[in-house]
Amino acid sequence: MLLKNTVLSLLFAVVAFSCSQEKKLPFLGPKTVNATGDTVYHQIPDFQFLNQDSVLVSQKDIEGKVYVADFFFTTCPTICPKMKTQMLRIYERYKERDEVRIISHSIDPDFDNTSVLHDYATRLQVKAPKWNLLTGDKAAIYKLGQKSYMVSAQEDPNEAGGFVHSGAFILVDKNRHVRGIYDGTVETEVNHLLEDMEVLLKE
Amino acid sequence: MKKLAPILIAFFFFSCSSKEEITQQQYSVEGMALYKTHCENCHQADGAGLRDLYPSIQQTKLSPEALACLFKNGKKGNGFMPANAKLQALDIAELVTYMREKWGGKKQIYPVDSVKMALQNCR
Ligand code: HEC
Repeated sequence: MLLKNTVLSLLFAVVAFSCSQEKKLPFLGPKTVNATGDTVYHQIPDFQFLNQDSVLVSQKDIEGKVYVADFFFTTCPTICPKMKTQMLRIYERYKERDEVRIISHSIDPDFDNTSVLHDYATRLQVKAPKWNLLTGDKAAIYKLGQKSYMVSAQEDPNEAGGFVHSGAFILVDKNRHVRGIYDGTVETEVNHLLEDMEVLLKE
Repeated sequence: MKKLAPILIAFFFFSCSSKEEITQQQYSVEGMALYKTHCENCHQADGAGLRDLYPSIQQTKLSPEALACLFKNGKKGNGFMPANAKLQALDIAELVTYMREKWGGKKQIYPVDSVKMALQNCR
């Protein structure tokens, strides 16, 4: 009986250990198969937007980086401040690590021009290029949100603040594949993101 | 006799806290819930605010009248606090009562009638 118990707990330990060692993250989004029969994973396409310092930022600036993206607007009365509180945790933790970036897309680019974003970033005490706050063509931003990051982002006069958008944080790997989507308003969800970030940094 | 004891204690307790006190407690509890829904996103649960984006409200020097107008109409100063049309006079009375107790250490009700007066005289 004692032996049986020992063997059982040993087995459990082995299983648990091998699981925790091999944490792998999924590839999210539609997959396609190319001509040579390989699976091609969903990828964030090229983009170009201005950041809070009026610098043009494109996918080239995040080449080889793991990054977290979200959608917000500076006058948002509801979930954005919560998201920014959580995003600050990510910012502070990876402040010294150049492989990690944060991109926040404004979904109210008419109001959130570069000088509004600059003021916002200064008050939040965050800096580019670690944390880029981006603005630009509205249609391009909405398309990127809906088609590429797979989150809702659009105008809605019925919504407080005039826009509907999800509070999602999207985790993207070094090859621009979406590897995780988390609720950026919830502390425990962001804890998961931080764990998964470590997995991606080791890939 | 034993069964009577708790009833007696309850009776004693209730008669001790005046009607005013009970209402103050009700206001404060309601105010806490309202704060969670309408304010906590920006000013945080402890009222400390978020860096320079949202100010701390723990030591605010604004009068109750000024607070009532601020909550209802918002303010565009250095920062931007949106107007909140959803807040009724009672909500504002409860919010101010809660803030007074939580950060002012003062258990004193801010009456609905005072809110209504204040709202008529907003600048
Ligand atoms: C969208 C974010 C946001 C929300 C929601 C919000 N506030 Fe504010 N609040 C601000 C900003 C920004 C200021 C500073 C405005 C300025 O003076 O530029 C401010 C200012 C204040 C002040 C004045 C501080 C001082 O002493 O000058 C108080 C008090 C206050 N808010 C309380 C509240 C309460 C109570 C609620 C909920 C009913 C609330 N706020 C909702 C952003 C917000």
